[in-house]
Amino acid sequence: MADPGASIQEIELTLNGEAVARTVSSRQLLIHFLRDELGLRGPKIGCDTGHCGACTVSYGGKTIKSCMMLAAQADGAEIETAESLASPGGDLSELQESFRANHALQCGYCTSGVLMSARFLLERNPSPSDEEVREGIRGNICRCTGYVNIVKAIGAIGREEVSA
Amino acid sequence: MTAPAQKTIEAPTFVGQSMPRKEDERLLKAQGSFVDDEGMHRMGYAHYVRSPYAHAKIVSVDTSKAEAMPGVIATLTGDEVKAMTEPLFQFAPRANGQQVVEYLLGVDVVRYQGEAVAVVMAETREVARDAAEAVEVVYEPLPVLIDGVAAAEPSAPVLHESLGDNIAWKGLFDWGDIDLALENADHVVKIDKLHFHRYSSTPIECNAVLVNWDPGTDMIRVVSNNQFPMFGALVIAPSMGVGIDQLDFVSQDIGGGFGIKINSYTHIGVLALLSRKAGRPVKWTEYRTEHHQSAGHGNERTFTDIEVPVTADGTILGFKMKAFDDAGAYLHYEPLGAVIWSQVVPGPYKLKHVQVDYTETLTNKCPAVPNRGYSRMQHIWFVERIVDIVAHELGFDPVELRKKNYVQPEDYPYTTPNGCIYDSGDLPTALDKVLEMIDYEAARERQKQAEGTGKRIGIGIGTTLDSGTNNFGQSRILNPELPFSGNGEACTAMLDLYGEIMLKLGTNPQGQGHETTAAQVAADILKVSPENIRVWAGFDKSHSTYIGFSGTYASQFAVTGINAVIGAVEKLKSEILIVAAAAFGVGVDDVELANGSARMKDNHEAEIPFIGIANMVFANNATLPHEIATSVSLTCRYVYVPKFEVPDTEKKYGNLTLTYATQTHAAVIELDEETGKVEILDYAIVDDCGKRINPMVVEGQVHGATAHGIGAALKETFEYDEDGQLLNSNFLYYHAATATDVPHLKTDHIESPSPFTGTGAKGMGEGGGAPVHTICAAIQDALSGTDAMVTDSHNPPERIWRMLHTPGERGVTVTSKTSDG
Amino acid sequence: MLLAPVDYYRPDDLQGAISALGTPGARVLAGGQSLISILKLRAASVDLLVDISRLEELRGIDVADDGSVHIGAGVTYDEMATSGVLAGVHAKLCHVAAETVDAQVRNRGTFGGNLCHNDPINNFPPYVVALGATLHVRGPDGDRDIGADEFFTGYFTNSLKPGEILTGVTLPALARRGVGFQEVEIGEAAARAVAVIGIDNGTISSAQVALGCLPVPTRLPAVEEALVGSEPTAENVAAATATAGEGIDPVGDADASPEYRIAMAPVVAKRAVMEAIEEGGRHG
Repeated sequence: MADPGASIQEIELTLNGEAVARTVSSRQLLIHFLRDELGLRGPKIGCDTGHCGACTVSYGGKTIKSCMMLAAQADGAEIETAESLASPGGDLSELQESFRANHALQCGYCTSGVLMSARFLLERNPSPSDEEVREGIRGNICRCTGYVNIVKAIGAIGREEVSA
Repeated sequence: MTAPAQKTIEAPTFVGQSMPRKEDERLLKAQGSFVDDEGMHRMGYAHYVRSPYAHAKIVSVDTSKAEAMPGVIATLTGDEVKAMTEPLFQFAPRANGQQVVEYLLGVDVVRYQGEAVAVVMAETREVARDAAEAVEVVYEPLPVLIDGVAAAEPSAPVLHESLGDNIAWKGLFDWGDIDLALENADHVVKIDKLHFHRYSSTPIECNAVLVNWDPGTDMIRVVSNNQFPMFGALVIAPSMGVGIDQLDFVSQDIGGGFGIKINSYTHIGVLALLSRKAGRPVKWTEYRTEHHQSAGHGNERTFTDIEVPVTADGTILGFKMKAFDDAGAYLHYEPLGAVIWSQVVPGPYKLKHVQVDYTETLTNKCPAVPNRGYSRMQHIWFVERIVDIVAHELGFDPVELRKKNYVQPEDYPYTTPNGCIYDSGDLPTALDKVLEMIDYEAARERQKQAEGTGKRIGIGIGTTLDSGTNNFGQSRILNPELPFSGNGEACTAMLDLYGEIMLKLGTNPQGQGHETTAAQVAADILKVSPENIRVWAGFDKSHSTYIGFSGTYASQFAVTGINAVIGAVEKLKSEILIVAAAAFGVGVDDVELANGSARMKDNHEAEIPFIGIANMVFANNATLPHEIATSVSLTCRYVYVPKFEVPDTEKKYGNLTLTYATQTHAAVIELDEETGKVEILDYAIVDDCGKRINPMVVEGQVHGATAHGIGAALKETFEYDEDGQLLNSNFLYYHAATATDVPHLKTDHIESPSPFTGTGAKGMGEGGGAPVHTICAAIQDALSGTDAMVTDSHNPPERIWRMLHTPGERGVTVTSKTSDG
Repeated sequence: MLLAPVDYYRPDDLQGAISALGTPGARVLAGGQSLISILKLRAASVDLLVDISRLEELRGIDVADDGSVHIGAGVTYDEMATSGVLAGVHAKLCHVAAETVDAQVRNRGTFGGNLCHNDPINNFPPYVVALGATLHVRGPDGDRDIGADEFFTGYFTNSLKPGEILTGVTLPALARRGVGFQEVEIGEAAARAVAVIGIDNGTISSAQVALGCLPVPTRLPAVEEALVGSEPTAENVAAATATAGEGIDPVGDADASPEYRIAMAPVVAKRAVMEAIEEGGRHG
């Protein structure tokens, strides 16, 4: 549909390991592109101002809030979402197992974003202290868990306490 | 109380286990299904037109420019809605018939910033948004009223002409003899004012509705994250002139509710009408700013003219006070809050003489809706404040004073001044435990050491009750004509054609783990593993497994939901045994369940697996005696009904809630004198919710409720400026607690089984707001030695700084009968 | 949260960006952590976003022989936080970058964007003012330098001319001075101060103190004068910083009133100076 003031951008990116080519409006946010155009469920919308982190994905190996980026900026990028965490056969990753074992999710709405932030944190800091974990997930708001079990689940990976 | 009808589970294996949840796999793999993950063929997207004014006449609404935009499908205005619907159901019209008149969209007058006046539907989200901006609304601003106490004055601007004033409800609650108690008390502590602030649990997923009004069948299919869909149906169906039989509700995963998502029924109604007009399905997902402005706020309550009689030995005899609850601009679920607080009249204490002059007012703010802790939290905060202030003013030790006044373990079941029955608990033990967890002695030592350093240490205690499974008959105390009473929940337990075990619940959880706990309970009865039980994810009305109370709210699932599961599964078990007995040619007492089969008790080789039972009933019924084949269905619907009576509406007396979980919290804080900032150094919780079906799930609820309370106490608030503009309308200024705001929480538990629930379990998800009580007490303790009084539930740095640097009137006076030498 | 119609262009080099800025309604998009938010809230009207987030010319952290360091405007907070090069000469700046907002914002937000946006809650404006940094700018008329004391002109405004892009910032060498960075964290921050203190022979020999959370980050000459020549004791610092709130005019909001912010100015100034003294003491 015509959208005066915006232009059509052609983008090519790698999403969860697969090549994707699409056209997007210049005004479309990455989160809407991922959800509405590509049908992903991992990144979610929880706020208007980039605070809640439910939209967190990995962009070039670093976590970003996909509501704070234009779809057009994904051109040439490698993007991973929470859908990439389990094995192709559907087995939960060690991190996901730890979340399950430690009851680190309740409603599950923030979980995809938290998992991406947790993965990034652990890549940078394989054995984080509880304080470092809290600092690492500060950009993800959870209203269900009070963060206690999330910190426990991430810390368990660092302490290699989780048996798959 | 009569004996419970439900059986206690014999030899439980799975009940009581901290089993990982069935729900988790799909949620972890981003395979959950939330409303925005769903779609319907040819659906459009909706965007609301909302009032920027807190109070204004709607002069005109012109949708012509919007409708002319390419991609716009349909629009709907308040006038259209008024022409085709009835005003929304009100809980408590006055005796003379006066009531608030509200339609599904704003009509004639808007009464809060963000109130919806029109809605636009378009092919894409962007077009809907752009077109909504093109709708031209002309407003004539009116005087704004944001003071919930002043709203009761005759001089205040009147928000609803149909009422003639701003009083949503008013009543006097009076039990015992408070005036006599005040006369005879050794001390009377008078407190001018206490205030519980407005905030919300702000679930990360906002409201969302996907609805199609099918022109062929006239059925309205609603996919939404409303957490109490049957209540919503009861309200919108008469307004829209449809039967509840036309409404089909479906939900699967819901991203948090906390009570706020009870309120979204107006959207379901509006969007259904829009769908019918457009002839297509429509999806609406709420923006965060809309959510904060219009989804619903927790109760804001001001307590004034507080008088507390105390005897010389520290017995608190009761209290007298006026309460003003600010309901906002419309009554959605309110004024129920005006009676729900009375489930916990004396808080956790044996106070006997209570008088509350309660006024609920209307203001130009977002409507108040149940928010985690709904109405009881505000009241218990009040009770904890007065206990804390009495301790402070009269020189009692806050620990000893509490213990002295607590309901004692030997007092249960304990009848409160208004006839509520506290079922069980052990508050003194909980208090001792929690103080041990924060190393109370060492904390007091640390407090001494910190004196004069500019960083003050404070220790606070908060005891709270989480009343659950409420008797809806209490609504008649507000309006004797209301046809509501009791409570309950439904479950259907069935075998499918090949013997698969399935449970369908009338509840629709938002993270509380119902699929798992229901399976644990069912597994113990059917002697299978929870993995062999499929619990239908979410709610679906077409399962016919619901009653008027169905939904997930108000700390009741562990009682209503679980007892419904037990009832349904017991029925299913007995049908399986009947079929097996018939097949074996023996009596029902000669067969039992084991390992997914029914078998003879004295010959384990003689067994029929559930697939065989199902076969005989569903596809092979000529092999059964005819009277058996026609009396079993293996589809067993059960409604759990707790035993309640309709309360005495004259005396406002009766048992209003079945269970009372307790939580006792303790906090050690450090308060920076120069900035007023509070840091939590140590935090401990002892919870008691009776028998815990899944301890890990229970603890998760404790954690979550605590985080909400800590956020509310220190960072989260909804405040309006004098023009009625909400200052915290998204996460930019509403500072939802993050992982660095919530400290590590130490938890321990006691299990005082409820004698009233069969399983001994109690509902506990709301938590009771203890952190708010606790942190207020800790701040008060940190400020001892100064004149500062903690009189507000919300204490951000600036408020504390002002308490220290520019204290006003203390607002507390003590009158004592005898002056000690 | 949906954007109004806006166009997008990603130039291959800085010159292309400068040319594109000649289009009416064009605005630079760097990390986007502020600008995208503004566009979502429809608080500003932009017709063309010129994406400079991948321009190599804006990257890099380089230390010169004299110990001064040049930070490219496009360097992200995360790159600053994890830069061993930067840690070697301006450790406190690394630390401040590492604590900014959250990990996701740090992965995109840029040093230059933070400075140009000049939101009172931003970290780096008072930092560069306290240090007396030099900001390097390129525009249609060529290159020029702007002192930090002249760069910030008011709420969300700076002294860039139309078509100009901030390319980098040079921070002077610290020598053996210590840096203190203190704030009152309400929301992001309600009050903030940065202090750069030099100590020689047990006396404060140089003092630069700047307040943030203001439309223009502001040096405090009276405070600085009172500090220089005095012994670095808690009492002296408290006395010297007592006037820090005089003459400032912060705007109040839902987080804190103007009165509170004014009262906090001496508190954060004092704490920043004490921190700088301690930090400098470690090198001294």
